Amino acid sequence: MDHVVQDTAGPFDTLQVEAHALPVHLSVKLFNSGLGAGITRAPRVDVIPQDLVPPPRLMPAWHPNWADPQTIGVQFADVIEAPRSESASASPHTPPGTLDSGSAFLPAAASPTQPGRRTRVDVPEAALSITDRLFYLLQPPIESLLSGQELLMPFEPFPFQYQGIAWLFSRSCGLLADEMGLGKTMQAISAFRLLLRAGQIRSVLLVCPKPLITNWQRELGMWAEEIPVVAIEGPSPRRRMLWEMQNIPVKIANYELLVRDVQMIGEDEFPAFDLVILDEAQRIKNRESQTNQAARGLRRQRSWALTGTPIENRPSDFVSLLEFIGAIPAHGASDIRQLNRLARDFVLRRTKDRVLTDLPPRLDRDETLELNPAQELAYHTAETDGVVQLSELGESITIQHVFELVLRLKQICNYDPLTGQSCKLDRLTAEMEEIAESGGKAILFSQWTRSLDWMHGRLQPFSPLIYHGGVPSARRDDVLASFRDDPDCHLLLMSYGVGAVGLNLQWAGYVFLYDRWWNPAVEDQAINRAHRIGQQNPVLVTKFICRDTIEERIDRVLQQKRELFRAVLGDGDVSNSSLSLDARDIFGLFDLKAGHGEQLRSIQPPLAEEH
Amino acid sequence: MSDPAVDSRTFRIGFLASLETDDGAFVAGLLVTNRYGRPLEFQCTSPVRPTRAQQLLYGETLRPFLLGELMGRALLDRLGTQPDLLVTDHDAILDLRNHITIPMARIETQPDTAASKSVAAPPLGRVRMGRRILSIHSAHQHDISALHHGATQVAAETDLQEPLERIRQALAETL
Repeated sequence: MDHVVQDTAGPFDTLQVEAHALPVHLSVKLFNSGLGAGITRAPRVDVIPQDLVPPPRLMPAWHPNWADPQTIGVQFADVIEAPRSESASASPHTPPGTLDSGSAFLPAAASPTQPGRRTRVDVPEAALSITDRLFYLLQPPIESLLSGQELLMPFEPFPFQYQGIAWLFSRSCGLLADEMGLGKTMQAISAFRLLLRAGQIRSVLLVCPKPLITNWQRELGMWAEEIPVVAIEGPSPRRRMLWEMQNIPVKIANYELLVRDVQMIGEDEFPAFDLVILDEAQRIKNRESQTNQAARGLRRQRSWALTGTPIENRPSDFVSLLEFIGAIPAHGASDIRQLNRLARDFVLRRTKDRVLTDLPPRLDRDETLELNPAQELAYHTAETDGVVQLSELGESITIQHVFELVLRLKQICNYDPLTGQSCKLDRLTAEMEEIAESGGKAILFSQWTRSLDWMHGRLQPFSPLIYHGGVPSARRDDVLASFRDDPDCHLLLMSYGVGAVGLNLQWAGYVFLYDRWWNPAVEDQAINRAHRIGQQNPVLVTKFICRDTIEERIDRVLQQKRELFRAVLGDGDVSNSSLSLDARDIFGLFDLKAGHGEQLRSIQPPLAEEH
Repeated sequence: MSDPAVDSRTFRIGFLASLETDDGAFVAGLLVTNRYGRPLEFQCTSPVRPTRAQQLLYGETLRPFLLGELMGRALLDRLGTQPDLLVTDHDAILDLRNHITIPMARIETQPDTAASKSVAAPPLGRVRMGRRILSIHSAHQHDISALHHGATQVAAETDLQEPLERIRQALAETL
C-alpha cells in the first residue's frame, strides 16, 4: 500500500513522500475466545501525515529597522484664494494643459511678455531663525504669486516693479524711495495684497496727504479690487467707529486726521495694525512734529515708508524715516557714512534713467525772460525799498522779514499787480498757442493760487482748468477727468502744494514751472506728474526765470546745493536729493549791511534760525 | 489617489527633492503647494549619512532605499497636509511609490520645449503637466489617471521644476 503525502503548507517546494507497505508477519496463537472471526480480519493501518522539520533558512530572519531621520517642518498660513471672476473661470472640463492662469487670468493686454521671468523673494537680514528663512526661501516667484492667485492685474508690471514687490513682501521695515513716476503706489498695493492673501497680515493702515486719498482709492480699485477699503473721514463718532471696524482690512487716513484721532482715542486705545504704510513719508521729517510722533506711536508689526524724496532738506529728514521704520532707535544720531550703510540695508531706490530706459526723455529748458517795463520798474522799486528797510532793522532782523521781501519780489516776477504786465504770461500765451494748435496738453505749476486765478482769466482760449487748495476735494477728480477727456482743454493750472504729489497726468506732454519752488525736489515731483510710466512722448519742461531778479539768484543757490547729498543716496542720484533754502541762504539773497562807514558789516541770520 | 470630485481648489501637489552633501550625507525636503505653487507645508530631514551596514546590504539600491523608503516616507509621515500627487525629478526618489499609496510622477529631464509642444500627445505613460512632461512608476500604471487629473488643475505656464529648485535652495540653507 503506497501513500503519497503532499505538503503544500510550507514555504519551500512541494515535498513528495513515498510510503511503502511493509510485510508484517505476526505469529498468532489461536484460542477459542469467541472472537475468531475478528482475528482473521486483515489489520487496519492508518497513515497520519506528519510535519517535517524545516530545513535551515539561508536568509537572516531579522528585518532592518532603521531609525527615521529627524525632520524640520514649516507650516504656512492658509492661503486665501480670491473668488474667480467670470472671465477668469476655467471649465472643469478644460482639456489638460489648456488652463492658463499665467495669462488667461490677465487681460490679453496684460499677458506676461517674458513668461520665464522669475523674481524671487529675498530673505531679509532680520530673518534669523531657520523657519523664518525657509518661509521666504520657499515662496514662489512673485510673477507666479501674482498670476497664480487669479489676481487681476490691469497692466503687466515692469521687472523692477516685480523686484520692488518682492522686496516689500519680505520686509517688516522698508523705505521704498523710487523716483516719482515709477509706481510706488502699485508696488505697495501689490505687496500688501499678497501678504493679505497669504494670511501674513490682516490689517493695514495707509496714511497719506489728504489730496491723495482719492488717488489711493482709485489705485486700490485698480490693483486690488477684491480688498475692502475704507477711508477714515467724517465727524468724530463716525471716525471712531471706522477705526474700530475689524472686518475692513485696509484703512486710509490722512496725516492731519491721524494726529487728531490718536489724540481723541488715546495712543494706548488706538487700534494696532499688522502693517502701517506712510505715503509721501517726508511728511514726518520733523521728528518733533505731532505728525511724526503720532506715526511713530502707532502699534504695528510692519512699517513701510514711501517717498520719492527721502531727503528733502537735510539728513535728519532721512533719519526720521529710518526711525519710523525701526531701522534705528528713536533719536539715534547717524553720520553720513552710517546713513549710507542704512540706505543700502533698508532703502530701495531706483531712478527712471536706470530702470525705464525706454521712457521718453524729459527735456528741461530754462526760459530766462526780461521783465516788461512796468514790471521792471515795480520790481526794482520794491527791491531797493525793501533792502533799505531790512538794513534799517539791523540786528533785530528776522528770517520772516527777509522772507516777506522775497515773496513780494517773486510775485512781481509773476505779474505786476498794478499794470497786469507779465513777461511770463506773454511767453506762456505764445507757447500755449502752439501747443493747442497741435492738440497737446500742458500743466502749469505756481506757488500762489492768486497767480493761478489771475492767469485763469487771461488764458481762456485754452480752456484752462484750475486744481489747487481752493478747489473742493469732491470736485478735484472731475477736474482731472475733464483735463484728460476734453480735447478743447489744453492747460491745467496747479499749485505745487496740491498738485505736486501723487497724481498721474501722463497724458500731458508739457510742464511749465511758472515760478520756482524753494526746493528742487518738490519741482521734480511736480514735473513727474507728467513724466512717468505711461507717457508716450518726450516731456518738455519749461522753467520761467526772470533775468537779474531774485529768481535767478535762488536758482543759482539751488543748483549749487543739488550736489551736497549725493553721498547719502549713492553716486549718480542727485535728481531729487537736494536742499531747500535755509535761513543763511535767504539772507544771502540780498546784500544786507548794518552800521555806517568802516563799521559796515553783513547781516547774518540769528543762530537759532540757522538751524 | 486622485479624486475628480474633489474641489479643484484643494488640489495639492507634493514636491520631493534631495541634496547630497560633500561628505556623502543626504538631506531631503518635501514641499506641499496648492495648484498655483503657493507653499502650504514644508518638511525636511536632517542630514542622513548611510551606515556601512546599509551600504553593504543595499548596494546598488542604497539611494532608492535612503531617499525613497527611509527619508521620503518619514517626510510623508510628518505631513499634516497630504498631497494628491507627489512629483520629483529623481529616479531614486520615485522608488518611494512602492511604499505609499499616493500617486507619484517624475519630471522628464527634457523641458517641454516649443518644438515638443507641437507633438500631438506625449508618449504612452507620460502626461504633460504645465510646461513639463511627467512619467509614472512602471509598477504603478494606474497612477496615470491621477496625472491626467493633475494636468487639468495646473496652469499651462506652470513649471513644476521650479518648486524643486526652491526645495534644494531651502535644503542648502539648512545645512
